[in-house]
Amino acid sequence: MSILLICIIILFAFLGAPLFSIIIAAAMTGFYFSDIDLSVMAIELYRIADTPILIALPLFTFAGYILSRSNTSERLVRLTQALLGWIPGGLAIVAFVVCAVFTALTGASGVTIVAMGALLYPALKQAGYKDNFSLGLVTTSGSLGLLLPPSLPLILYGVIAQQMDAGQAVSIEKLFIAGILPALLMIVLLSLWSIWANRKTPVPLTPFTLKNVLATVRESIWEIPLPVFVFTGVYSGYFAVSEAAAVTAMYVLIIEVLVYREVKLSDLSGIIRESMVMVGGILLILGVCLAFTNFLIDAEVPMKIFNACKIFIGSKFLFLILLNIFLLILGTMLDIFSAIIIMVPLILPIAQEYGVDPIHLGIIFLANMQIGYLTPPVGMNLFIAGYRFNKPIIEIYRATIPFMMVLLLAVLIITYWPWLSLVFIS
Amino acid sequence: MAGKAIDLIRQGIRILQKAEDSVLIGLLLLMVFIAVSQIFLRNLFDSGLSFGDELIRVLVLWISLMGAMVASRNNSHVNIDLISRYLPGHIKKFSTVLVGFFTSVICALMSWFSFNFVMMEKSEGVIAFSGIPAWICESIIPVSFAIISIRYLLISFATFFNSYKQNV
Repeated sequence: MSILLICIIILFAFLGAPLFSIIIAAAMTGFYFSDIDLSVMAIELYRIADTPILIALPLFTFAGYILSRSNTSERLVRLTQALLGWIPGGLAIVAFVVCAVFTALTGASGVTIVAMGALLYPALKQAGYKDNFSLGLVTTSGSLGLLLPPSLPLILYGVIAQQMDAGQAVSIEKLFIAGILPALLMIVLLSLWSIWANRKTPVPLTPFTLKNVLATVRESIWEIPLPVFVFTGVYSGYFAVSEAAAVTAMYVLIIEVLVYREVKLSDLSGIIRESMVMVGGILLILGVCLAFTNFLIDAEVPMKIFNACKIFIGSKFLFLILLNIFLLILGTMLDIFSAIIIMVPLILPIAQEYGVDPIHLGIIFLANMQIGYLTPPVGMNLFIAGYRFNKPIIEIYRATIPFMMVLLLAVLIITYWPWLSLVFIS
Repeated sequence: MAGKAIDLIRQGIRILQKAEDSVLIGLLLLMVFIAVSQIFLRNLFDSGLSFGDELIRVLVLWISLMGAMVASRNNSHVNIDLISRYLPGHIKKFSTVLVGFFTSVICALMSWFSFNFVMMEKSEGVIAFSGIPAWICESIIPVSFAIISIRYLLISFATFFNSYKQNV
């Protein structure tokens, strides 16, 4: 009977039933056969209201959606070009930095490629970069900056780890600190590759002039404080993450609607609805997954998987290799939020048995998922780019693969060199 | 007669959607406002609303579930969708009907069991914070799942009768 039910649930999952309903069905089946009253589902779901850090999610997402609707992206490009445009590699490097910062500012909610791509792709081509290179670059950059604060996926990882015995020491602040060097590594490797790939293409540089810098600074004067107080507030511990989120949301609302006046008051209701639909989708899955996770832990499923793994996987090294492969495949099938919510409760206890630090695991997890966005056949960035730039998907695959290889190298370094993630965490 | 009934349903759906949108927007703005006031009160006057932090956390739950309700209007919840995109037209239609029905049943069950939970909390008189009964804070759970359930049933029916216009 229970096996039949499980088969039906799996069938519906593959037929495309909403993920939250699949998880509810699985959790209810589990609780039913363990003779637990099913109103426990509501108790578990209510835990969304008992987790203070989750406040950050709607607030950062809201701020990110407003930023993506205003001209912040254009000002950010001009400012970065004035500051960094003189570096060999020119606009390509500017593009990586800009995308990383913008992804971080918008909490890695997936709006970068939409807001930045349309801006950078023509600019890169105009500057003399090859079409293929430019296309690959903007597609790749859409998920760069995933490891920088206030990355929502990183917050989500922290929330889930804290719900489990295994990861109680995983604070969001520590995760943010751990993400800095790996994020820089990705940006540096991609930049080096861009310089090398364009060694035969003459690329114009923007000379550094104080006048130019001052002009672009004046233009962005209201937005410059934003990363400053998010980064310093969170890193110094002066602000709690949720407080930083509240201030960011209010500040962005005021400057974009009242100071720059690029977001009309009448557009605000649509922006709020769109951003909260995304938040609702994520938190609903999180809420029902808390119930399912509880069932799995009661049934000691992670321990059972670990015991089965022990037979085949003898060393931490082998475990990490398999973890990389597994996460890369997972990243092509699930969006990053669902993947974190569903897989972290299973993988975290197992990884700890193999001696992987929970904070390092978080960075590995996200770095892998970032590549999943770009992996053919179904990586999400590929589709967004194809749709946005009106290119056949095969062309996007071909353009993106070199960048993906560079990121893959970065992920391997991040995975097998824990120092990079853990050096600033005592 | 049937046409009139359908018009009535359409009008009901429109009113419900407007109401959802307004409440959702109101709740988010309220949340931003309270969260920022708490920070100012705490840092400048070393005080704060006694119920502020709890209220914000309950608002997160309400906003999430309202957002989820809105997402189910056009079935834009996250799914895995490994098979259905490769199915031929008429089988795909059949599977959409089936999946809608499945989701509707699951949400109806969820709504029923959380309704029981809310009633239990009400009869025990559990207080959430500052004298506000817990059952009021929790009531969004059965309500939202009931509405999501109805929406997926409508999507399922409408797909079956070929009149699904991506918004219920």
